[in-house]
Amino acid sequence: MRGTLLAIALLFSACGSETSAPPAAFRVALVTPGSIADAAWNAGAYSGLQQVRDSLGATVSHIEARTPADQEEALRSYAAEGYTIVFGHGYEFQQPAERAAAEFPKTIFVITSGQEVVGNVVPLIFRIHEATYLAGMVAGALTKTGKIGFVGGMELPPIVLGYEGWLQGARATRPDIESRVTYLGNFDDAAAGKEAALAMIRLGVDQLHHNADAAAIGLFGAAKEQANVYVYGANADQSALAPGHVVGSAVLELPRALLLIAREVQENRFTPRVESFGLESGVIAFVANPELQNRWPTGLAERVQAARDSIITGTLIVAGTKTP
Amino acid sequence: MRLAPPSSNSRWRDVGVTAGAFGLGLLFLALFLLVAGFDVPLALGALWRGAFGSWYALTSATLVRATPLILLGLAFTLGSRGGALNIGMEGQFALGAMAAAWMGTHTGALPGVVALPMVLGAGMAAGALWMAVPVLLRLRFGVTEVISTLLLNFVAEAAVSYAVTGPLQEPSGIYPQSASLTMAARLPKLLPMSRLHLGLLIAFAVAVVMAVVLKRSRWGFELRAVGAGPRVAEVSGRIRAGRLLAVALLISGALAGLGGAVEVSGVSYALYLNLSPGFGFTAIAVALLGRLRPGGVVVAGLLFGALEAGAGGMQRDAAIPAVAVQVVQAVVILTMVVAANSGQRTANGND
Repeated sequence: MRGTLLAIALLFSACGSETSAPPAAFRVALVTPGSIADAAWNAGAYSGLQQVRDSLGATVSHIEARTPADQEEALRSYAAEGYTIVFGHGYEFQQPAERAAAEFPKTIFVITSGQEVVGNVVPLIFRIHEATYLAGMVAGALTKTGKIGFVGGMELPPIVLGYEGWLQGARATRPDIESRVTYLGNFDDAAAGKEAALAMIRLGVDQLHHNADAAAIGLFGAAKEQANVYVYGANADQSALAPGHVVGSAVLELPRALLLIAREVQENRFTPRVESFGLESGVIAFVANPELQNRWPTGLAERVQAARDSIITGTLIVAGTKTP
Repeated sequence: MRLAPPSSNSRWRDVGVTAGAFGLGLLFLALFLLVAGFDVPLALGALWRGAFGSWYALTSATLVRATPLILLGLAFTLGSRGGALNIGMEGQFALGAMAAAWMGTHTGALPGVVALPMVLGAGMAAGALWMAVPVLLRLRFGVTEVISTLLLNFVAEAAVSYAVTGPLQEPSGIYPQSASLTMAARLPKLLPMSRLHLGLLIAFAVAVVMAVVLKRSRWGFELRAVGAGPRVAEVSGRIRAGRLLAVALLISGALAGLGGAVEVSGVSYALYLNLSPGFGFTAIAVALLGRLRPGGVVVAGLLFGALEAGAGGMQRDAAIPAVAVQVVQAVVILTMVVAANSGQRTANGND
């Protein structure tokens, strides 16, 4: 017992003597609401953070914070340590950032899928529904059963908007489409994601889309086990998650968006604004899987291309019913 | 599983077991980091800084995290001293948070001295009501509270999920969360420029009251007697074990509900889906590490608060991935529980 205590005492004294003053530099932090091993939303942001480090020479740091209390604490901790930019990765960081921002005016809080500019809190808005619309068009054209399904993580506005784009797109190519949607209540439970996908498949759904991050891994697993069930990835090109089953992905090039803001801040030309990315920016895109494109009916590729052009020129507007 | 209550003359032994368990946990942590190939001094340095390294870390991270752990640890302690295991604190916490959020958005223009007791009271009432079900099931049908309280956690989670997308959803109807509490319904900050709120002092006060009640009051004596052996207690005197235990469990539920109310009123200011990162379960480890003594629970709660804050520091400053941090926390908890329980065994002879 005494030996253990002594060891601990030594351990602590060794730690205490270590200096903790990092050099004052361009420092960028990322707070994600879930695991960066999700091959989607959080992985994209983390790869963006690494690019900020590599391209801009920034000192970077990342932390995962799942509960509202942890999220606010993480934002504040980085600000208190003097980070220049703190990315709060998701709409849920908007309010905690607003509460923290007033006390840390030197830090810029960038909220992906945020809502509005409040002082030094600035949102990045991703119009992912423009890409899910195109995915939906393909799904509507490819479905044999006339039934499509969507598995969302939580029923958050950006997620719901993605679903609504998907449904509108499917209706454009198949007006009598039957659509199923379910929200898991979290972004982690891959077993629940698989269960939801299997339930939909049993109901005849043969085209599945998601926005459930790590939980969607289960959805790809379900599709792999079934012939003639196809999946559409979200937030990243997910063709590799279920080879031969992924028709395309609604891609979100998070690194480009993060780099854009970080570069402006580093070069002292950043002004607080609402930065919105759609198909025109290249940050949002529908990326088809070339391996499966031979299954597309003739004329579909042209229709998708035409819809993309119309969205970019503004003649086709993909809008949700619950827009914040 | 029965948890032996600490015998009254083994205070210093208890302190030794607690310190030893925590120290063993830290040793395991260092070993794990070494085996996983991380820079151990860097990681442990980050752990220390994340928990105690700055005034901000101490007040805004460690103490804020410790507050719900202490309250829930005390809730578990009270039930356990009477021989009942409340595994449903996660659910009582959620229900307490829900009631507090409802009350805190409906106090209107009432001043804080009126609104705050109403908010905290609502949380306690909700926690106690949620506990009333397992109490009835145990007294009437002999259903063990371990099972019923555990299962009710899932029901509570579903109830919160329904509330934030239904009756308690914020006015715009977009986000799965409640409206924000009125300013008067929020617990005041103890220090400016920090997140530390009055909840910590409330937790301390509860610990003091519980210590006095358990040690000095007749009720506390009877509860401890029931915990030591309900049969013996009933045969030997006029103690009504069932009723005594029911009251202890209801108070335990109320305290867990208070934990939820304090978190909503002191930290999040609104009800969210995933308010608790598992406080209700971590608090069991806190109570065991605190040797089921109110004072010990306070110390253990502070240690766990520091551990969680330090885990954040390890992620931030030493790039230890979150998964590794979670593994480390689990190892530390397991070590502590095993060490604390084996210490108990030796203290109580052949149990």
